[in-house]
Amino acid sequence: MDIKDLKTLIKMVTETDITEFELENAEDKIVIKRGTTVAAPQFQVQQPVPFSYAPAAPVAPAAAAAPAAAAPAAAKEEGDVITSPIVGTFYRAPAPDAAPYVEIGKVVEKGEVLCIVEAMKLMNEIEAEFRCKIVKICKENAEPVEYGDALFVVEKLG
Amino acid sequence: MKGADVDEGILGLFREGEGFVSGEELSRHLGVSRTAVWKHMKGLRAQGYHIEAVPAKGYRLVAAPDRLTPRQIMAGLPARRIGGSVICLKETESTNAVAFKLAEEGGVEGTVVIADAQSAGKGRLGRVWLSPPGVNLYCSVILRPPISPVAACQLTFLSVVAVARAVEACTTVTPQIKWPNDILVSGKKVAGLLNEMNAETEKVNFVVLGIGVNLNMRADQFGTTLRHPATSLFEAGGVEVNRVQFARTLLAELDRLYEVFLKEGEAPIRSEWLERSRICGRGVKVSCGEREFSGVVEGLDAFGALLVRLSDGKLETVLSGDVSLIN
Repeated sequence: MDIKDLKTLIKMVTETDITEFELENAEDKIVIKRGTTVAAPQFQVQQPVPFSYAPAAPVAPAAAAAPAAAAPAAAKEEGDVITSPIVGTFYRAPAPDAAPYVEIGKVVEKGEVLCIVEAMKLMNEIEAEFRCKIVKICKENAEPVEYGDALFVVEKLG
Repeated sequence: MKGADVDEGILGLFREGEGFVSGEELSRHLGVSRTAVWKHMKGLRAQGYHIEAVPAKGYRLVAAPDRLTPRQIMAGLPARRIGGSVICLKETESTNAVAFKLAEEGGVEGTVVIADAQSAGKGRLGRVWLSPPGVNLYCSVILRPPISPVAACQLTFLSVVAVARAVEACTTVTPQIKWPNDILVSGKKVAGLLNEMNAETEKVNFVVLGIGVNLNMRADQFGTTLRHPATSLFEAGGVEVNRVQFARTLLAELDRLYEVFLKEGEAPIRSEWLERSRICGRGVKVSCGEREFSGVVEGLDAFGALLVRLSDGKLETVLSGDVSLIN
């Protein structure tokens, strides 16, 4: 059975009051049980304090220090900024030899994958939360990113 | 009683008693005629069960077929959270892809997807996990932990510790953990784990734990294109591993560890990982994209990233990439 059929099957079962469903044929055997919602346990995982992966900032040459320090670079991005929900490594493509998910100027639909951020073999596909156009890609492929780092600047489309 | 239930009833009675079970006993317990019992024995044999019949003694289960079915796997599972729903497929592209789709459609926590074979088993960054039929375990589990995305990478330790425990319980080989979540035996890879997350900024929607374990694959099935040397538990230990038993043991361990994770947080699992990996104080070579460096491991940071002290005294934090031990 392929994924599509399985999805349809699960959807069909979910739309009824059936709590248990079994199907067996020559190829597959499928058991769907539902309705055993486990109450969310009361607990908190200690939230690690996001910390910096950026190399220690080089000591700025004294002459450049005063006037140039006025505008913090990250603060003034035009448009909507898509940030990283985790600390990890930023990947623009699903595989090193594959085409990037997005390029500058591309219009992406809501739910479309923009990039992957990996932390310890946990692959996090970052999706567009709304229809938008990519204005800027803020990180290089395979670059480390921190929690909250800007990954893309996008223009929200109606 | 349906035919399949009678089959299951017979197998249940075999499991309870060690030796022979008489036809009369079976017929009485299951409420069917002795002729029906005899017919079901024939049916079970056709399914691959090796059942011995001795006059005046009854029937005895000699061996069950090593076929991954929900019924076989779920029998006796604690399934507090994991394994309440098990889906077994003959072949699919990738169990992670199926589980991910199911989760997007609202699949409940603890749903397990197992395939006998994968046509496009997923490795990290588009790499392939070799997945021939009939020999190994390819399995994905949907979790919906009430944690924030930054804490989710700790689940990596959970699944690798579960696999290590299952290997110890089902075989005589000694599993070694390679950071963060490969399992090696004598320096060769026997298990690969790949987790995928769907999250919003502050909330994890779901995580799919992908687990591939080379159980009974033969040396000639590995081919020559692998990046790292690989082996199977059979090749390493010389004994066939029962797939159903391994799957059941693994899911029970995952269930146990997930319970600990939810109640006590990640600390107990991290300490078991550290103990098993024996990586602290060891020299390692790290390659991450185009960067390569060597140093000595000092431990894990709050996220589970590896802390590596370089020879110039600088401390590197490794969250992705390939880490191998150097002597």
